[in-house]
Amino acid sequence: MKQIKLKINGKQYDLLVNNHEMLSSVIREKVGLTGTKVGCDQGSCGACTVLVNKEPVLSCITPALRFDNAEITTIEAIAKDGELHELQEKFVEKGAIQCGFCTPGMVMTSLSLVPTLKKEDGVESIIHQIKDGLSGNLCRCTGYKKIIEAVAEYALEKHGLKPVSEKGKSNYKTISGAVGVGRPYIEAEKKVKGSADYADDIVSKNALHCKFLRSIYPHAKIENIDLTEALKLEGVHYIATGKELPIKFGVLPISQDETAMAVEKVRYIGEIVAAVAADSEDIAAEACKLIKVQYKRIKEFLQIDDSLNDVGENEKIHEYGKFNNNIHKKAELRFGDQQQGLLDADVTSKMSFEFEGINHGFTEPHAATAFWDENGLTITTATQVPHYLHRALAKVMEVPLSRVRVIKPYLGGGFGGKSDPFPHEVIVSHIARKTGRPVRVRLTREEVFLTNHGRHPSKLTVQMGISKDGFMKVLDADVAIDGGAYGSFGVVTSYYNGVLLQAPYKLDNFGFRTYRVYTNKPQCGAMRGHGAVNTRFAVESMIDELANKIKMDPCELRMKNFLDSNTLTVGHYRITSNGSRESLQKVMEQSEWKKRYGKLKTGHGLGVGCGFFISGSALPIIWNELPQSVVHLKLDFDGRVLITSGASDIGQGSDTMLAIIVSEVLGLGMDKLFVLAADTLITPVDFGSYSSRVTFMAGNAAKDAAENLKKEIIDAIIKVKEISAEELNFADSRVFSNDKKVDLSWLEVVDILTAKRGAVSVSGKYISPKLGGDFKGSGAGLSPSYTFGAVVAEVDVDTETGQVKILNVWGAHDCGKALNPLAVEGQLEGSWHMGIGQAMSEQMKYYNGLLVNNNFLDYKIPTTLDTPPIHANIIETNDPEGPFGAKEAGEGAIHPVLPAIANAVFNAVGVRITKLPISAEDVLNQIKANKLSKEKSLA
Amino acid sequence: MIAEKLYLKAESLEQAIYEANGHPDSFRYIAGGTDVIVNKFQGNDESTYLIDISGIKELKNVVTAENHIEIGSLVTLDDLQKHKIIADNFPILLEAAHSVASPMIRKTATLGGNLLCENRCSFYNQTEWWREAVGYCLKCEGDICIATGGKKNCFSKFVADTAVALISLNASIEIFENNTTSIIPLESIYTGDGVSPRNFNKTSIIKSIHIPTNNGYKGVYKKLRQRESLEFSSLTTSVTIDKLGEIRIALGGVDPKPILIVGTIKDDLQSLITKAVKKARIVDNDVYSREYRKEMISVYLNRSFKELGK
Ligand SMILES: Cc1cc2nc3c(=O)[nH]c(=O)nc-3n(C[C@H](O)[C@H](O)[C@H](O)COP(=O)(O)OP(=O)(O)OC[C@H]3O[C@@H](n4cnc5c(N)ncnc54)[C@H](O)[C@@H]3O)c2cc1C
Ligand code: FES
Ligand code: FES
Repeated sequence: MKQIKLKINGKQYDLLVNNHEMLSSVIREKVGLTGTKVGCDQGSCGACTVLVNKEPVLSCITPALRFDNAEITTIEAIAKDGELHELQEKFVEKGAIQCGFCTPGMVMTSLSLVPTLKKEDGVESIIHQIKDGLSGNLCRCTGYKKIIEAVAEYALEKHGLKPVSEKGKSNYKTISGAVGVGRPYIEAEKKVKGSADYADDIVSKNALHCKFLRSIYPHAKIENIDLTEALKLEGVHYIATGKELPIKFGVLPISQDETAMAVEKVRYIGEIVAAVAADSEDIAAEACKLIKVQYKRIKEFLQIDDSLNDVGENEKIHEYGKFNNNIHKKAELRFGDQQQGLLDADVTSKMSFEFEGINHGFTEPHAATAFWDENGLTITTATQVPHYLHRALAKVMEVPLSRVRVIKPYLGGGFGGKSDPFPHEVIVSHIARKTGRPVRVRLTREEVFLTNHGRHPSKLTVQMGISKDGFMKVLDADVAIDGGAYGSFGVVTSYYNGVLLQAPYKLDNFGFRTYRVYTNKPQCGAMRGHGAVNTRFAVESMIDELANKIKMDPCELRMKNFLDSNTLTVGHYRITSNGSRESLQKVMEQSEWKKRYGKLKTGHGLGVGCGFFISGSALPIIWNELPQSVVHLKLDFDGRVLITSGASDIGQGSDTMLAIIVSEVLGLGMDKLFVLAADTLITPVDFGSYSSRVTFMAGNAAKDAAENLKKEIIDAIIKVKEISAEELNFADSRVFSNDKKVDLSWLEVVDILTAKRGAVSVSGKYISPKLGGDFKGSGAGLSPSYTFGAVVAEVDVDTETGQVKILNVWGAHDCGKALNPLAVEGQLEGSWHMGIGQAMSEQMKYYNGLLVNNNFLDYKIPTTLDTPPIHANIIETNDPEGPFGAKEAGEGAIHPVLPAIANAVFNAVGVRITKLPISAEDVLNQIKANKLSKEKSLA
Repeated sequence: MIAEKLYLKAESLEQAIYEANGHPDSFRYIAGGTDVIVNKFQGNDESTYLIDISGIKELKNVVTAENHIEIGSLVTLDDLQKHKIIADNFPILLEAAHSVASPMIRKTATLGGNLLCENRCSFYNQTEWWREAVGYCLKCEGDICIATGGKKNCFSKFVADTAVALISLNASIEIFENNTTSIIPLESIYTGDGVSPRNFNKTSIIKSIHIPTNNGYKGVYKKLRQRESLEFSSLTTSVTIDKLGEIRIALGGVDPKPILIVGTIKDDLQSLITKAVKKARIVDNDVYSREYRKEMISVYLNRSFKELGK
């Protein structure tokens, strides 16, 4: 330990720091300035950027002792006297903040970057310099577009290249109106100032720190765990092992197959075997090293094919399950007559595809703190589904549901990766009970990767046939998915891989068979576009192939086959609003498709893809009669409407969405609304942020609640005023009749409402209509509404290296109605960026069951420089059942972008992509092979 | 109790070296620390005494001498561009520096540190726990090389991008050890052994990097990587031709050491390229396969010659 002096944000600190302690730890843990975020701890994400003597440094890899007597500036000092810095205002105004976890780093980096920009070469060069300068700061939510816009506008104004926007004019603070008006998130200022608390920022007094010992074998019996030496280490308070927590849990009731720690055996490398709680993380980590585990290895199953084979009794990864192999789930559905369809088709094609696993890559690592008191368990944790975690904790801790409280603080991105109950959440709850102290945990980036639950790797074969004039006759898919060691959402994934192919095209003869196998690898689960990204890629590639075979423009072929609005699909999905055609039309126009497709020189190509997704699952995960979402409103004497909802804002903007809806119904300004969400003690149940359900379901519940409140208000007014209900209008925070006979300010309204009654609370709910066919498996993929979209991508392929560069992405997505267009654009841009990652560079690589690329350096999320210009288009179709016509915008958009890129590669160099990520090497080899066969055929 | 670690912010070369000699087994110099700290985080670097040399002012200058320039070893990768003489004479050095890591890291990372940045391998640059799970490789006291499926040699790849450019520019380094200063060609410190890739006394300090200024180099630098930022190299090539027609081809990312091929414009360029390809001992320890990287050497070199007008 050494004493150092640091002047942080103008204040002098004398600090006792560990000799090898990093600056990030001193700033966050010792000084308590948690605006500086840690996303990777290895210099690979930029979240931890601070200024030291005005120069930016990555505080996670900078020893604090280097800077004795230095002046440090963190995000907390950028806003002055309560006023945001101009750059921060731009971030807010442009919608550059989603989950906000990368934001402090982005702001600090940009602040140091802007003064260094060389302005001689003009605006375009400045924008390139900005992209270059931000290329070490990863953002998983925004696709960088709005971030670059924010920094560029600030920079251009600073450098006198653009007139400074008049304060007040473009100021987001004065935005009026609700539905359809683009606005920043309500909490955007807090996030940009670094004062929004995420799970690891909330410090409980006297907390213990938890670290895990993880398995080093993929499949092994645990023979013995020796804790003796570890327990001797000073500062260790408790060591838990699997036997203490034998109760199984899982997100789906049908696959409760996971325990908090391995009990009898380990099923993947990285599975938790023991957990240490100690005075500090270092001590806990040291103690983990002192634990001795004896394993006896069991035959391991690492590939899909291995898991299909019959096995001996003791080799099954899970004993439960009906098959004598490691297949977890088989799903099969057939509609129409596929044999006939094949006969009817003039041209058929059958192709196989392979996909690697994908990780969500959210920038905030999992973190949680749990404690017990007279109210039972309270856990604050980075979760997308407080409700299911609530249930799981009650089950495993063996306490009534009424003794568990789950609080979701601000959350740094989820994308499906925080939507299961997790072992670490169970473990800290358990140790907190055993020690009577709060217990805190945060996972390293490596552990986040090991926890995974990401997109399933899959292998599939698709057969498709069309008529000469381009009508689809048959589609058949055979899909194998690699589930990893546990169930997670896998049963749903198994169905989604098939059922979500029945639209957006009209198909009379359609069938699929999917199976999910267990393997000895970290489990897979739900990720943005759940279950349908890979199969969609395959089908859209096949369509391209078939269009090519019959020499038809692939856009035209798609146009011919789109389902109409208000129809049923072959598998009985009720399609209501449908913006497929408008979406495709839009991207064709923008990309000048007609003019350019097929006319570009070799190496340069355009490709198209379409997509479709659910907007909320009509069936709940746990079968019960609760509404899918409930929203409460409380209005008291002060005129503020408190909106409480169990929905989790994970950076997608659902808190803001709720406020917009209530604001619209009541004609009430946003300043009179307060959203309190995702605290299972206080907020009514919402099932959580998954399956793109929140805008549709929580949005409808909020609308219902606001309408109920409106009724109460009207009833109160007509009792005391001579006016009929129909005459009353709600707008501009007033209630009035057209003739102004009644003209009440909001506070007058509130006085009338609360007289002799006090605060008024109302409730609203959403229950999805009964949908679907009458056959087994008919429930999969049922949704009250579906979304549609299209993407055109333009690429450049280097024919000597096989390297693909994306030049442009034009996308359009039918979200029904954009309640908040700024937020919808952000979701679309983020979706396309994530799709680009999977298409171009991301994959989870394993070596004998061990994840090789478990950090942000080797798991390659596209940086600013790898992200092409993305052109986002919102298509509105006003869904009849969505709140004000809205449907999802957070997931469905991802589907079309991957095949669009691959089809563009085909268009550029005649190479059909059947594996993701696109490998330059494969492309090159195929280019050469094509050339050879051409030469041969010429000869 | 966990043993206390040590840290010293050295004020002078002498102090740093004195301390180093006092703790020969446990110390490590850090300049920017951007390589060392990550390796420590992962448990690859086990030094318990960090001697921070980043405050030694005399190593931060750029000096113009009669027929060479001397770049202090502590000049950061980002600061290189601020020196007009470097920008004017050695644009490929700036390109190389710019291709390292990320903008923020380049503000801290030093040129000297880059030259000594540790070799990399997918099976080595991992946490302690991970390496235990995979069964430690040669480079961390294991018995075999995992990347090659069991060879007894380590082929961790050399990734220092600026070194590749500097070697093609015929640079030397000025080393301070045991109170004496010596100047040696940069390429001479690299051994080609993946386990201990540098033949460089651990207690010595690189003071500066010398690049001859009168050779009239024209050069082309290229780096193969999946992303345009935040990436170590899968193949780095730097080709120069000087005013007398000497060709220097330097490669990184494809062997435990940088590869250097020297020729002249009179040579058959294809045979120089073949020589370079042959020399590279590439193994499968990268996102790109061995074959692909090998093939790309020729493509990159051919392109470089083309861009140089050859
Ligand atoms: C995310 C990330 C990406 C990276 N990408 C790249 C990349 O693309 N290309 C690349 O080359 N590197 C990359 N690096 C590694 C590293 O950032 C660079 O190599 C950097 O230039 C190292 O310089 P440094 O000053 O930080 O070295 P340090 O980490 O301080 O030191 C590196 C080594 O040099 C020794 N040393 C330093 N200075 C001297 C001296 N003057 N005399 C004697 N010994 C000395 C140290 O003891 C140590 O052994 C990356 C690092 C990270 C974290
Ligand atoms: S936390 Fe420092 S760079 Fe990621
Ligand atoms: S807003 Fe950038 S990571 Fe979420």
